[in-house]
Amino acid sequence: MVVRKLSVILLVALSALLIAKTTLTVVEVFTSPERDAILKEIINRFEAQNPGVKINLISPPYETAYQKIYTMVSNKQPIDIVEVGDWSLSTLASMGGLENLEPYIAKWDGAKYMLPNLLEFARIYKGKAYLIPNAVYAKTLFIRKDVLKKYGIEHAPKTVFELYGMASYLTDPRKGQYGYDFRGKGYPTDFIDLFVTSFFNDIDPNNMYLTKDGRLIWDDPRAKLGLELYVKIFKNAAPKDAVNWGFSEQINSFVSGIAPLLYQDPDTLGVLRDNLPDNLYETDPLPLGPYGKAYPHYGFSGWGIVSYSKHKDLAWKFIKFFNSPEILSYWCKNYGVLPPDMRVYENDPFFKSDKYKGWIEMFNDPEHYQFTKQPIWSEAWGKWTDLQERTTQEILLGKKTIDQVLKEWSKFWKDAGLK
Amino acid sequence: MRKGKRVLRFILLTVYLIFALFPLIWILLTSIKSPMEVYAFPVKYIPSHLTFQNYQRLFNYAHFGRYFKNSLLVAGISSSVSTILASVAGYALARFKNKWILPTVLFLFFAQMIPAYLIMIPQYVMFSKFNLIDKLSGVILVYSGIGSAFSTIMARGFIARIPVELEEAAMIDGCTRLCSLFKITFPLVLPGLSAVFSFSFVNSWNEIFVASLFLNSDNKMTVPVALYSFISKAGVNWGFLSAGLVVALLPTIVIFAFAQRYIVEGLTRGAMKY
Amino acid sequence: MERCRSEIKPRHPARFFLYAILPVLVMVSFLVVYPTIRGVIMSFQNYNLYNLHDVHFVGFKNYRTVYTDSRFYEDLWNTVLWIAGSVSLQFVLGFILALLMWEPFKGRGIYAGLVFYPWALSGFAIGLVWSWLMNGTFGVINDVLMRMHVIEYPIHFLSDPKWAMLSVILVNVWYGIPFFAIMILAALQSVPKSVVEAAMIDGAGPMRRLFGIVIPYIRPTILSTLLLRVIWVMNFPDIIYGTTRGGPAGATETLSVYMVNVVFYENDYSKAATVGVTILAILIVYTLIYIKTTSYEELEL
Repeated sequence: MVVRKLSVILLVALSALLIAKTTLTVVEVFTSPERDAILKEIINRFEAQNPGVKINLISPPYETAYQKIYTMVSNKQPIDIVEVGDWSLSTLASMGGLENLEPYIAKWDGAKYMLPNLLEFARIYKGKAYLIPNAVYAKTLFIRKDVLKKYGIEHAPKTVFELYGMASYLTDPRKGQYGYDFRGKGYPTDFIDLFVTSFFNDIDPNNMYLTKDGRLIWDDPRAKLGLELYVKIFKNAAPKDAVNWGFSEQINSFVSGIAPLLYQDPDTLGVLRDNLPDNLYETDPLPLGPYGKAYPHYGFSGWGIVSYSKHKDLAWKFIKFFNSPEILSYWCKNYGVLPPDMRVYENDPFFKSDKYKGWIEMFNDPEHYQFTKQPIWSEAWGKWTDLQERTTQEILLGKKTIDQVLKEWSKFWKDAGLK
Repeated sequence: MRKGKRVLRFILLTVYLIFALFPLIWILLTSIKSPMEVYAFPVKYIPSHLTFQNYQRLFNYAHFGRYFKNSLLVAGISSSVSTILASVAGYALARFKNKWILPTVLFLFFAQMIPAYLIMIPQYVMFSKFNLIDKLSGVILVYSGIGSAFSTIMARGFIARIPVELEEAAMIDGCTRLCSLFKITFPLVLPGLSAVFSFSFVNSWNEIFVASLFLNSDNKMTVPVALYSFISKAGVNWGFLSAGLVVALLPTIVIFAFAQRYIVEGLTRGAMKY
Repeated sequence: MERCRSEIKPRHPARFFLYAILPVLVMVSFLVVYPTIRGVIMSFQNYNLYNLHDVHFVGFKNYRTVYTDSRFYEDLWNTVLWIAGSVSLQFVLGFILALLMWEPFKGRGIYAGLVFYPWALSGFAIGLVWSWLMNGTFGVINDVLMRMHVIEYPIHFLSDPKWAMLSVILVNVWYGIPFFAIMILAALQSVPKSVVEAAMIDGAGPMRRLFGIVIPYIRPTILSTLLLRVIWVMNFPDIIYGTTRGGPAGATETLSVYMVNVVFYENDYSKAATVGVTILAILIVYTLIYIKTTSYEELEL
């Protein structure tokens, strides 16, 4: 009797040991209910393939996610994988929170299928990759075909001047109709930079704020021309209210048709899919400047391994799994971002639709579209986005002149050590 | 009251009701609209057809039921604890006279002044040392502590306003101190204490800063943090958020409706007379 | 009318007093005081995320950085406007609401449940919802006003610097009225009906009854709720952050919003702590002056 009881206990203990699970803790940044559902599905698949592994997903609210991750990492909270956005990469890496992934990449065949230069872009901190991109962001032009058609416009604007002409032609405040979805608050940096740099033809591919001969673009008279156009678009082609517009307001006015021309990232596709009939919108390449150039940049986010993680190999296994073409295709299709892996574009016809036209054409046209880097590795970057937002608002409200502000910007970057 | 005055009062109360309610009405309407209509321009007020899909999704794939339970637990326990501690401390501060009263009260006011971001990092370091990260008990501790400071200030005021002569009179009538405390003082401060409780419940129910920093796992998430996470990089999911706000408001509205009975009627209904 | 406080004498007064207040004191000290001391120390260091491996004392460097920036003084002025505007309006309107609700009427319970709900919303949600309502292009308020032909063109509530501060204050007023209404309503219950009625028989008009009897009776509540609200509103960035993030061009940036911006944009916790210590110092000084001028005896709710 006693023996039987003992053996039962032993058996239970043994089986408990056998199914004892390794827990991998993953923290994401870009939390949203829709995205979490997609992420959980991928996690389920991984867990099914790897019995004994359990993934604990932490989804902090997006607005506080970066601060939370910094705090967790600096207090050595038990996490293994963090999602890293491009501009939190240097911060986390300089805290010593991220593992250098170069040894893993050297042995990984997925590396050679990454979009051209993407890994180079990811090596912004000391030339080493501290994350594997799982999503690529780049601004492109979204247009509301139905609204443009109503005004007799059949095609997307090809140049920034055409964009301005079209947008101001549409604008009629009495009817509540405007042209351009202006972004005034909440990190408007990309929008300003795109207009300014499109007036150049010699931007340094490694640093958007420098020309090829190493001068700050803010000292160049062409920067002034770019900003002038940007302000004109605000004055004549966008609601005055847009000084205070962030992402939500941009989406709101694009979906409602108030302004049919929108510069945005691919994850907008995920939002539009839920709110707008499919045949009403498409994407087109960004309008070009006077030299026939535009300088978009890759934004990216990806998975990094925490430097003090106890399960680094398993963490890498998850990242590798996530970055397989099949999973990436599922992920990008549902979430709306651009796949970082070229195989996905080739294998999946989904990414050939008119929803992706803007990016595909830009990727295939290096003569006009030169992808470049913003100096996000600089410690001053966060402060810069704050300053640029504030001072641009001051221009728009007539409190400062363009010349004054350009001087301020130039001084800021000189102080920050960018030449 | 004269008729003219009553009419004036009716008008003023109605005006305020509209002012207070219209955002809620907008939230309610948004929560039952289909996504396409949420963004309609010109603004569309009445949805062309009702849909409860936002509420369904709330409970299906955001585990809102669980968050709701967590929040009830956290807010319920911490506001009870802080109300009890505060009534005892408030009683002492109201009924005694000594040199410690002023410093204590000032200290409690001081605790209200501290900006959250000043203590965020040190608090986190401390909590991770005590292993209180990702524990509901840690959050309950913070809420009880923060709540008890404010609640003590409030409770002290309510108790001080009750004439101590009433307690003494009861004691002369043959009641013990404890009995006079429960028979006389307690019913009299009940309106005040229900105000204390409802305020501290509402504060804990809505708290977001501590909860979003100290709690990690999905199964420990509270309602306001869940609502906060409906704001993503890609903007706000209005339908979803509105439905969540409506659900999150229910317990607090119930608490206020109950508490106000004590707050405004407690004394007038009771047998106590001045 | 006599102040209704007098002493009681338990057997071990000192011990009873200590036991009664100790739990609260210990909890608050543990949760607030210790971290505050650490926070103050941090403001004299160079604690930012880029140099966690080399945190050391830098003297008053952070204070010099903050106080030599004109932004600090603009924000200080905005803070004064924000507090004075929102607290005074909340108080006056909350007081009126409490007086209106003092006399029982049919459905008062439901009415209270309905009008008190703004206090039960999270700050971020208030900011978010109102920024939609107040939008200058597709906002509901403008739409209603235009349909009623009150205005011809939309008002740019949040994007016009002339309107922005007023708009965020209005939102805060909407949010804060219930607090004053509830507290004053509760305090009004202690005003003896007999005294008011006696004054009425003596022929005192409503204004004299209000200022001569009611207000003196609930003066302690008024004084301490006002103080508390000033303290809270000073430390309440949520509404402004949700509507304007301090914009346009800094027009609504208060010190507490500035502090959030320093954390979010600059990752410089020491600089943020400096702003935080400044907020704390201002509040301490304010409270001491407030108590001196109003006499502490009355400082109870």
